[in-house]
Amino acid sequence: MNRQEFESKNREEWKAFEEELEASEKGKESASDVGIPSKFRKICYDLSLAQYRMFGHQICDKLNGLAIRGYRAIHRKRGAFGEGAIRFALGTFPQAFRREWKLFLVVSMVFWGPFFAMWWSADREIEWVQALLGAEQMASIDGMYGKDADTVEHLRQEHGSNFMMFAFYINNNVGIDFRLFAGGIFFGIGTLFYLVMNGLFFGAVVGYVEYAGEPELLWRFVAGHSSFELLGMLVVGMAGLKMGFALLAPGQLSRGDALSKAGREGLPLLIGGSLMTVLAAVVEGFWSAQPIEANVKYTVGIAFWVLHLFYFTFVGRGHRGA
Amino acid sequence: MAFSVQRIDTLQTVELAEGMEIHLRAAGPFLRLMAYLLDLLVEAAAITSIGFLINLVFPILGENVGNAFYLLSIFFIWWFYHVIFEISPWGATVGKRALGMRVVNEAGGGVTMGQSMIRNFIRGVEFMLPFLPLMAFFHPRFQRLGDLAAGTLVVYSRPRIDPVIAGPPPLAGIPVNMTLTREEEAAILSFRYRSGGWSEARQMELANHLSKITGEVGPKGVSRILGMAHWLEEQR
Repeated sequence: MNRQEFESKNREEWKAFEEELEASEKGKESASDVGIPSKFRKICYDLSLAQYRMFGHQICDKLNGLAIRGYRAIHRKRGAFGEGAIRFALGTFPQAFRREWKLFLVVSMVFWGPFFAMWWSADREIEWVQALLGAEQMASIDGMYGKDADTVEHLRQEHGSNFMMFAFYINNNVGIDFRLFAGGIFFGIGTLFYLVMNGLFFGAVVGYVEYAGEPELLWRFVAGHSSFELLGMLVVGMAGLKMGFALLAPGQLSRGDALSKAGREGLPLLIGGSLMTVLAAVVEGFWSAQPIEANVKYTVGIAFWVLHLFYFTFVGRGHRGA
Repeated sequence: MAFSVQRIDTLQTVELAEGMEIHLRAAGPFLRLMAYLLDLLVEAAAITSIGFLINLVFPILGENVGNAFYLLSIFFIWWFYHVIFEISPWGATVGKRALGMRVVNEAGGGVTMGQSMIRNFIRGVEFMLPFLPLMAFFHPRFQRLGDLAAGTLVVYSRPRIDPVIAGPPPLAGIPVNMTLTREEEAAILSFRYRSGGWSEARQMELANHLSKITGEVGPKGVSRILGMAHWLEEQR
């Protein structure tokens, strides 16, 4: 069989396949998708034949294009979103966290070290804290947690301000999470930088409020969302550091392959950690500033920390194969 | 041809589970940069028009609520514009689609939301050191770091079909009385279908490479090849 025979014998079939693909790509007639797999196998066969016999790039390119489109049509994912989300929350995410527990130790030290160092330094020598925060930040902290400040609860009485702050926290904190992750591409330095800076800054705020303000106002405000926000940030940091370590020490793989593997394996941490930060924004926007007694807020805050401990330790054990 | 070992094109050979090979045409960094700039325009237009809309209705909602919606839409457009479009059936942002490209995984299929998030989030920091995206020039698949981490690449979305520019029809078929390899036969046939676009000097230059088979050089070689091609296709 030469090229012309091959082409004239199959032209109709190829055309039919292309039409079916077009219908399927437009999302119409999904019932006729049943015809695609068998026709796709025929296209694969024709393509191999055309390539082997070198029927020229005209035919090969055409069949190649059809094969790619057929492959896409067949391997398109139409997953149930709800089921995927539940499986993620009850399995994939906590399992990925436990698999990378060493990274959790690393990010924890990188964050809490500067945090406590800054807090401690405020007790002995406030100038470090003052230098880090700067006049503007200190004024704004005085406004919120100072000795005679308008409390956050009071400021949030205005209509819509809770929602406004929620949007602000989403934009700011989740954005920081994404940068924290992406910074891992610089051999992890970007991730470490953001973690250290956040540790220093939070430590400085706490230290400054202890020094100059009314600590109870601060604790009352942050108690509820602290677990979501801090753990979410650390978990995303784990995903970023994973990429960094893969580039530094790729082991048996090439650096490109190691990076790809780290990206794939760190993905649940990125998604889960960012979702935790979204939850933190919900809590911070709609609960933390409610005028409720301090003890209730502390209890809720502690309950959330315990819940996180329980979640990351126990959830998703036992059905690893699922 | 598709089977040469030393490649001079950017085709990426991928073997599928179905047992055959497909070729992906990786798109180059320059065109991708153009697509990115187009996308920036689209994002800016979207944010501006949302801001305008919110300005129209915020007297009803209140200033805080209006600001909140504005912040949320900036967040979603900035971080998820690329992601939403890349996981859509288009497989491409507006800019990429306009320039005929799409984002695929390393087997040529569509990307998942996670892959798209990885490659787009990393672009943000990659552009902080502008030489990093340029490194895509040195990668055989033109992958930047974000693509490597996500396991994705950008390809041309449509097959490129070269036009047929056949040479002049030969007067008579010339029987080939020797066994040709597949490569030789393919070379003779594609000579026929492409030589119409070449100058005579170029035709002779290429025909001289086949002088072992034709036994002739110069114009005679050219017409012998065309005759052989005719015989191979029509008269064998």
